[in-house]
Order: sequence, then structure tokens, then C-alpha cells
Amino acid sequence: MKKNIIWALIIVVVLGAVNIWYYVFQYSKTHHRDVTNEVAMLVTSAQIVKDFQSNEKMANAKYLNKAIEVKGELLQEDKDQSGNVTLTLKSGDPFSNIFCTLKPGLPLPIKGSMVIVKGVCTGFLSDVVLNNAIVVKSVQ
Amino acid sequence: MKKVILSLILLSAICFQLHAQKIYSTKTGQIKFNASSPLEKVAAVNDQVDSKMVDKTGQIIFSALIKSFKFENQLMEDHFNENYMESSKFPKAEFRGYITNASTVNFAKDGKYPVSFDGTLTIHGVQQKVTATGVMVIEGGKPAITGSFKVKIKDYGVTGSYIGDKIANEAEISVNCKYE
Repeated sequence: MKKNIIWALIIVVVLGAVNIWYYVFQYSKTHHRDVTNEVAMLVTSAQIVKDFQSNEKMANAKYLNKAIEVKGELLQEDKDQSGNVTLTLKSGDPFSNIFCTLKPGLPLPIKGSMVIVKGVCTGFLSDVVLNNAIVVKSVQ
Repeated sequence: MKKVILSLILLSAICFQLHAQKIYSTKTGQIKFNASSPLEKVAAVNDQVDSKMVDKTGQIIFSALIKSFKFENQLMEDHFNENYMESSKFPKAEFRGYITNASTVNFAKDGKYPVSFDGTLTIHGVQQKVTATGVMVIEGGKPAITGSFKVKIKDYGVTGSYIGDKIANEAEISVNCKYE
């Protein structure tokens, strides 16, 4: 009886260790944060830029690392040095827009259209920056 | 009277010359971070670096968001943000300074020019003086900068038990920015 308990304990410990190893070294390598199924905070491009300009600290607390869905007019479509597609959305302020880097392998929207993008807000430089973004909708 | 007008024209021409400086910028600059140890690969890429540079004065700024650094391993990225860089408290890293030998670069002529940087680096809310060297490549009238330097992680008040063990004491920062 005692032997059985000891064996059961050993199996539990080994399984636990394998699980941890799998999560840390395998699962975390192949599974990155995906906003597709996250519930996002809805905001217009003009509003989020205004929030960051008026009080960056408060805006950081509100938006940083959160899934944000932004609606705005597409100003520019480009590629960064790693080949990811980047979109710039107009905010109404010519010096400060929304800059999003899309997740790789997504169908592209058409230039000059209104787009809704969903991504993780990483902060404010010249523009409000979104990362790992997807295009939720694009309207001509 | 004619002389006055002439000198005024000359003066304005000189002023124009003095002000004819160009600001180059990019929003998709790349910074790589590498603090790998023999035990573990600790490396990340940031493709959302904002950088501006003035050709005449050599004044240069790089700004990067900590949360824009992408790791191969999501868990490592989370630890980097939460436990080490505290990126919710300190969302940005920034270098402000000068290319000290900007006058030796001919922005109008394609070529490779060695450049030196001198300025202040702010990481984790801590400012440190930094010097570095790199290469400026002018191609088709557009400059690009590559360079790398090492930072001692503890100099910036970043602590953690893995530093010096699984994470190297010094991180290599490599910059690669193509300007428009």
C-alpha cells in the first residue's frame, strides 16, 4: 500500500516537472499573445492620440499592454525592416498618428480606406504604437 | 542703396545656407537586444524604433518602447517586461546625443562613413552617458545607421537573480535604422 502511494507521488512529481518544462520551453516558444480572441477596448484614433498628448502617464495606465481596437483613416501602408506590414492611421493631428505593426501573414487592406485595427498598445513615441495587430475591418 | 540691397540678398543667402539642414527620420528603426549567456538565449528585436537625425549638427535621437521588444519565447518576454524592465512604470528607452563627426559625412554622396556617437541613454528611468561607434551608409541619398554597444544591466538599476547567471551581465544593443 505504502509502495503504491510512493509510486503515485513519484509519477505526479515527474508529470509536474514535464509539464513545467513543456510550458516554459516549448509552449511559450510557439504560443505568442494573440489579440484575435481578446475583448478589446474601443477607441477612435483621435481620442487615443489626445489622451496620450494630454497626460501620457494616465494614458499609459489606461492603454498600455491592453488590446485596443482603433478606428481611423488609413494614411500609409508600409513594411518594416523585418518585413512586417505597418499601417499608419490618421488622428487629425498631422504630427501624431496611430502606428500599427501587423502580425505576419495577414491579407492587406486597400489604401485610402477606413480601417479598424486591433492590437496591443505598447506606448507613445511620435505616434501611439500598436503591435501584433490585426485588421478587423476595412471599408472603402 | 544698391549696396544695401545686395548685402541684404547676400545675408539672406548666407542665412539660407545656415538653415539648409535636413532632418532625417524613421519610425521603423530596428534595435536588437542580446543578453544571452552560455546557458540561455536571451534576445529580442524591436522594429518600431523612432529615430530622428539632423545632418548638419549630427544631433540624433532614438526612442524605443520596451513593450515593443519581441522575444522568441513569450514567457521570457513577459518576465523581461514585468520583472526586469518594469515596462509599465518605465515604458520607454531613449538615446539623445550627437554624431560627433557628422561633418565628415557627405550626405549627398553615396558611401560608407565611420561615425561616433556621444550622448545620454535612458533605460529603466536611469540616465547614463554612452559613447558608441557605428557606420553610416548613404545610398541613393538616404542614410542608414548601424552600430552596436554594450550596456551593463546593473548600471540601469535593473536587478534580478538570473543576471550574471542565465542572463549575461552585459547586454549588447545593436541598432539598424534606415532613414527617409
